[in-house]
Amino acid sequence: MDDDIDARYEVPRTAEFIRGRAYTRVALQFPDEMLRDAAAVARALRRELGGGDGGGVKLFVMADTAYNSCCVDEVGASHIDAQCVVHYGHACMSPTSNLPSFFVFGRTPLDTNVCGCSLLECSRESDKRILVLYGLEYAHALDDLKAVVAELYKSHSCGEVQYADVLCSVMSPSSAAEREQGQSNGSTHSNDLSIQSDGVATFVNNCCNVEGSTRKYSLGGLTWSTSIDDNMEDYLLYWIGQDNSAFVNIVLTFNKCDIVRYDTVANQPSRDVSHLMKILRRRYYLVEKAKDANIIGILVGTLGVAGYLHIIEQMKDLIKAAGKKSYTLVMGRPNSAKLANFPECEVFVYVSCAQTALLDSKDFLAPVITPFEAVLAFSRGREWTGEYLLDFKDLITTDKPEISSTTEEARFSFIKGGYVEDNCLEENEKQSETSLALAEVTEKALSIKNQNNDAVLYQGRAKSAIDYLKARSYRGLTGEYEGPAPDSVLTGRTGRAAGYNSEKTETTQ
Amino acid sequence: MVKFTVEELRRIMDKKNNIRNMSVIAHVDHGKSTLTDSLVAAAGIIAQEVAGDVRMTDTRADEAERGITIKSTGISLFYEMSDESLKLYKGERDGNEYLINLIDSPGHVDFSSEVTAALRITDGALVVVDCIEGVCVQTETVLRQALGERIRPVLTVNKMDRCFLELQVEGEEAYQTFSRVIENANVIMATYEDTLLGDVQVYPEKGTVAFSAGLHGWAFTLSSFAKMYASKFGVDESKMMERLWGENFFDPATKKWTNKSTGSATCKRGFVQFCYEPIKQIINTCMNDQKDKLWPMLQKLGVVMKADEKDLMGKALMKRVMQTWLPASNALLEMMIYHLPSPSKAQKYRVENLYEGPLDDVYATAIRNCDPEGPLMLYVSKMIPASDKGRFFAFGRVFSGRVATGMKVRIMGPNYVPGQKKDLYVKSVQRTVIWMGKKQESVEDVPCGNTVAMVGLDQFITKNATLTNEKEVDACPIRAMKFSVSPVVRVAVQCKVASDLPKLVEGLKRLAKSDPMVLCTIEESGEHIIAGAGELHLEICLKDLQEDFMGGAEIIVSPPVVSFRETVLEKSCRTVMSKSPNKHNRLYMEARPMEEGLAEAIDEGRIGPRDDPKVRSKILSEEFGWDKDLAKKIWCFGPETTGPNMVVDMCKGVQYLNEIKDSVVAGFQWASKEGALAEENMRGICFEVCDVVLHADAIHRGGGQVIPTARRVIYASQLTAKPRLLEPVYLVEIQAPENALGGIYGVLNQKRGHVFEEMQRPGTPLYNIKAYLPVIESFGFSSQLRAATSGQAFPQCVFDHWDMMTSDPLEVSSQANQLVLDIRKRKGLKEQMTPLSDFEDKL
Repeated sequence: MDDDIDARYEVPRTAEFIRGRAYTRVALQFPDEMLRDAAAVARALRRELGGGDGGGVKLFVMADTAYNSCCVDEVGASHIDAQCVVHYGHACMSPTSNLPSFFVFGRTPLDTNVCGCSLLECSRESDKRILVLYGLEYAHALDDLKAVVAELYKSHSCGEVQYADVLCSVMSPSSAAEREQGQSNGSTHSNDLSIQSDGVATFVNNCCNVEGSTRKYSLGGLTWSTSIDDNMEDYLLYWIGQDNSAFVNIVLTFNKCDIVRYDTVANQPSRDVSHLMKILRRRYYLVEKAKDANIIGILVGTLGVAGYLHIIEQMKDLIKAAGKKSYTLVMGRPNSAKLANFPECEVFVYVSCAQTALLDSKDFLAPVITPFEAVLAFSRGREWTGEYLLDFKDLITTDKPEISSTTEEARFSFIKGGYVEDNCLEENEKQSETSLALAEVTEKALSIKNQNNDAVLYQGRAKSAIDYLKARSYRGLTGEYEGPAPDSVLTGRTGRAAGYNSEKTETTQ
Repeated sequence: MVKFTVEELRRIMDKKNNIRNMSVIAHVDHGKSTLTDSLVAAAGIIAQEVAGDVRMTDTRADEAERGITIKSTGISLFYEMSDESLKLYKGERDGNEYLINLIDSPGHVDFSSEVTAALRITDGALVVVDCIEGVCVQTETVLRQALGERIRPVLTVNKMDRCFLELQVEGEEAYQTFSRVIENANVIMATYEDTLLGDVQVYPEKGTVAFSAGLHGWAFTLSSFAKMYASKFGVDESKMMERLWGENFFDPATKKWTNKSTGSATCKRGFVQFCYEPIKQIINTCMNDQKDKLWPMLQKLGVVMKADEKDLMGKALMKRVMQTWLPASNALLEMMIYHLPSPSKAQKYRVENLYEGPLDDVYATAIRNCDPEGPLMLYVSKMIPASDKGRFFAFGRVFSGRVATGMKVRIMGPNYVPGQKKDLYVKSVQRTVIWMGKKQESVEDVPCGNTVAMVGLDQFITKNATLTNEKEVDACPIRAMKFSVSPVVRVAVQCKVASDLPKLVEGLKRLAKSDPMVLCTIEESGEHIIAGAGELHLEICLKDLQEDFMGGAEIIVSPPVVSFRETVLEKSCRTVMSKSPNKHNRLYMEARPMEEGLAEAIDEGRIGPRDDPKVRSKILSEEFGWDKDLAKKIWCFGPETTGPNMVVDMCKGVQYLNEIKDSVVAGFQWASKEGALAEENMRGICFEVCDVVLHADAIHRGGGQVIPTARRVIYASQLTAKPRLLEPVYLVEIQAPENALGGIYGVLNQKRGHVFEEMQRPGTPLYNIKAYLPVIESFGFSSQLRAATSGQAFPQCVFDHWDMMTSDPLEVSSQANQLVLDIRKRKGLKEQMTPLSDFEDKL
C-alpha cells in the first residue's frame, strides 16, 4: 500500500525537491478526487523526509480550492505562510506569480502496445507528420511508448513521429516571469512581421516562439518545436488522454489541424471533434453578442496565474476605449445565481487560467467570454478568423490599445440584424475631465426623463449600472406610503425556510 | 435620343405643384414593367419602336431572365403638356412642364416589401389590372397597403390587345368585363376608405381609369376620345366623357343618345360605339394589311405616319399605327397629372401618417406645406447597390427642405429615440443623384417633393432612416414602414472554406442592406441565418449574396427552416412552485392561454406596454372579458418587452413584492424568448403570479436568487399547462382553370393544406382558390403545383397566422414531439427536454 502511494505520488522525488531547496513549510494541494489519499501521502512524505517530525518540515494539506484545482492555489498557501506548493493531479501549468511549485501529475496506466499500434495506423492513413501530445498524467508512459513505436517502425516504414515533452515539473515564479518576458518579446517580434506582411494586425499563436530556425511551442505544460518553415497545419495531432479541458485547449488552439484522440479508457482512437467545433461556433456567437453589450463585468477567476492583474487592467482599458463601462467583480467560482446578482452586466469577461476559461451554461443570464474573445469583440477592425487562444498571457501587450479612427463604418450587429452605434467615447471622457461632472450628470438626470424603462432594463439600453438601477421600478423605501393604512401587527411565520411550521402542519394534514 | 437634359429636370424639381410621385403596382404578370417602358419611351430615353420589349426598369440580369421584377426601380420622367390638354386642369400649376418620379415595383408577393418601400415615397399609384384576369390577390394586398399610406390610386385596365387579337371579344362583352374589373377594384378601395383622402374609387367617366396595351405601347382614357368627339357632337368634353361610359347608348341611325338600349341593331353603348369599335376596326385593318382602307381612316383621325413606317406589315404596322394614334404615354401621363396629387397637395394629409413627433412642431408644418425653405426631412426607404462593388445609394424622398451635395445631415436610424444618442449619426452627403432607370445623373441639390439617391451614407444606414439638418436636434423621425409580409422562412449559411468567414460576414451585411425585408442574424449556435418572406425571396437573396456580395466565394446553405412558437392549451393543472437557489424564496405561478385574438392585438400594437393603463384595461375588459382591476396588474409583456405573452400579478398582500418585480420580469423576458420545449419564442401565454414567499433580508432575495427562480417557475407552469407548438401558416391563393383544380387539390392534400374558399371568377373560366398551407410544407410547393397542373396554376403565399399543432409534444413519438427533438438537435441542445421535476420544487 505504501509502495503504491510512493510510486503513484512520486513521494521520493517530492522529498528530494523539498530537501534540495530546504523548504520548511510546504503546502500539499489535492484535487477533490485525490483527497482521500491526502493523509497517506502526507504521512509517506513525512516519513521520507526523515523521522516523525518530517525533518523539521511542516506539511499542510490544502483542498477545495477557491477557483479551480488545476491551478496552484497561491492565496491558500500564503495563509499558512508556505514556501512552496506541491500540486497533485491534473494541472494547467499556468505560471505562478509568487510561490514556487512542484507538480505531481499522477500516473494513469496506459496500454502502450495498443496505443502504439493505433499510432502506426494513423501515420499510415495520413500523409502528414504526426505530433504526439498527451495528458500530463500519461507523461510517465511516454518512454515506453516511444520504445514500442520505434520497435513497430522497424518493421513498417512510415512517416515520422514527433513527441512533445513535458515542460517541467518544477515551476518557480522568477522563471515564469522570465519566460513571460521572453514570450512577449517573441510575440511583438512576430506581430511586427504580420503587420508588415498584410497591414492588418492578426494574432499569431503566441504559444509559439521563434528561436533560430525552429518554432517552439508550449501549451498546457507540453512543449515541442517544429522547423520554421512548417505550419502546425502540416501535422496530424495525436492526443493521448481524456476528452478534458486540456484536450479542448489543444483542439481550439489548433482548430485547423487534423486531430486524433486516443481514448485511454476505451483503448481506441477517435477522430470525432465535432462537439468541440460546435463549441467554437458557439464562442463566435458569444463574441457577436458581446459586441452589443454596453456594460461589462470583469470576473476575476484566478488570484494566482501570473499576469492576471495586468490582463485585468488591459481589459479595463480595452473596454473603456470601446466606449463601454466595466465593473470588476470577484466572486469565486461563478454560478448562475452569483452572476444574476448583476443583471445590469450584459456580458462577463472571465479572467482565469486557460483550462477553466470556457464557461458556458444555459443558466447564465449573460454570456461569459474569455479575454481573447473580449479583444475580438471590443476592438474595432478585429475579425473572427478562426484563430483562437485560450491563454490570456499571450494577449498581454505593453502598448495601449489604439483608438480606431472615426471615419469608420458604423458597426453591424448580427444579433439585431442592423447597424448599431456604440456610445461615443469622447463624451465619456469630457465628463470625467470637468470638475462639474457630477453637476452635469444630475442636470441631465433631471432633464431627460427616461421614458422607456423596459428597454433599459431588459434590452440592454443602459450605459452604466446607474442608468440601470435608476430604471428599476423599485426604488427602496420612499417614506411616502401610498397604500391603505397598515394592518394591525400579526404574528409572523416561525420555523425554517425549507418549510415553516404553519406549512408543515398544512402538508401533514 | 434624350429629349431632356438634367438641367431641365432640375429646374422643374423646384416647382412642387408640377411634380407627381407615383408607383406602379399590380399583381404579378399584369404588365407593370412593360407599361412603364412605354412611359419611359415618351420621356425619350428609349426609342419608341422597342417600347414593350426592353423593360427599362428591370435592371438586373435575373429580372430580365425570369421576366419578373425583383427590385423596385425609380425613374424620373419629364413631360410637357400642351395648353390645350391642360385647359381643364383646375389645380395649381406652374407652367406646362411636369416631372414624374415613377417607381416600378415587383408584383410577386415575396417581394411586396419592395412595394411598401416604394409606396412610402410616392403620393399616387397607378394600379395595373389585367383585363382578363381581373383583380387578383396581390392587387388587393398592394391596394390595401397603398390606401393605408394614403396613396391615391388611378387604375389602368391593361392588356387590351388580348381582347382584340387573342380572344376577339365583342364590344358589349368587353365592356362588361372591363366594368366588372373596375367594380372589383372599387369594392376594395371602398373598404379601406379614409376620410382625409376622400373618395378614392375610380371612374372611367371621370378619367381616373385608363385602358392600355402595354406590350403595344398604346392606351387611352375616355377623355382622349371625348376630345375627339366633343367638337363633332358640339358638346363639351366632360359631358362627352360621361356619355362614353355606363348606360348611355347611341344609335347612329337616329343620331340619338338614350339611357337604355333601344333594341335596334344599330343602337350600341357609347363606349362600344365610339371607343371599342374604332380601335377594333383599325387593328383589324392593320392586321389584314388592308392599307388602301387604312390610310383614309387614319387621315380622318388626324394620324400622320412617316413614310418609312408605311412599309410595315401586319403586327408591326398595327403597333406603329396604334402608338401614333393613341400613345400610351399621353393617356397615362395626362391621367396622372390630372388625377394624382402633387407633393404639396399630398403631404397636407399624409403628414399625420408620416411624422412621429407632435403634429404642430416646425417639422410637421414644413412637411405639411412641402416647404423647400424649411428644415430638411428626408426618408430613406431603401438602399440600392451601386455599380462599384460594396457601395450603396440611399434612396428616398425629400419631404421638406432640400438636400445638397456636401451637406451634413443627421441620420436617425430605426432605433433612434429623440433626445438620446442611440442610432444617431452626423455625416455628410457626398453626392446627390437622380435616378433614371439604368442611369444616374448627379445634381447639385434636390428640393422637397422629389425622390433622391445619395452617396456616402451607406455605412450608417441598414435599411431605412430619417435624415434632417445637422442642427435640428429636436426633430422626430418619420414613422417606420409597416410590411405586409414577414420573414418566416430561414436558412443557415456557412462558407465552404472556413477562412472565407470575413467575406461571408461582409456579404451578409450588404445583403441586409440591399433588401428591405431580409433579416441577417446569428443563431445561438453560431450559425448565420438569412430570413426571408418565401422560397423565391430566399433564392434571390442567396444568389445575390454569393454572386454579388461575396465575390463568388462558395457557401453551404442548410435546408430551409421554419421557426415555431410555444404556447399552452389550458390553464396549469396546479399551481407550481420553485425555490430559489438558497431555498429561502419561493415563487408560485400558473400559466394559461390568452383569450383568442389577444396575441394578435398585442402583435398589432393595439395593446402594449406603452399604453395608458386605463385605455388598456378598457380594451381588455370590453373585448377580452378581463376583470378591470386585473388588467391594471399586468407586470410586463415579453419577449423583447413587447411580445405576445405577459405576467400578471394575482398575489394579495405579499411583502417586498415590488422589490422583486424587476427580477421576475427579467426572468420572464429570458424565459419567454426560449420556451421550455425547444427554446422557441413563447406566444399567447399569460403567466399569473399566485403567491410569493420571500426572505426577510434583502440580500437573500436579490436578482441572483429571484431571476433564475422566475425562469424555472415559468417553465414549470408552461409544462403543466399542456404545452403545444404553434406553426406558421401561409394563406395561399391560386388562380387556375377548372381542369387544373384536381391537381391543385391533390398537391394541397399531400402538403397538409386545406382549401377554405373556391370561387369562379365571374366572366372567366378561371377559379380562385384560397387555402391555408403550413409554411414548413411550402418548400417546393410551387414547383410541385406547376408539375401537377402542367404549369397552369401559380400560387401566391403570404404568412397569415400561427396554427396550433394538435399533437402533444410531451408525448413520446408524437409528431410534435418529433419536431421538438429535431429543433433541439439542430440548435445543439440536450436531446431530451428538461423534465418538469427540474423546474418545479416540492415543499
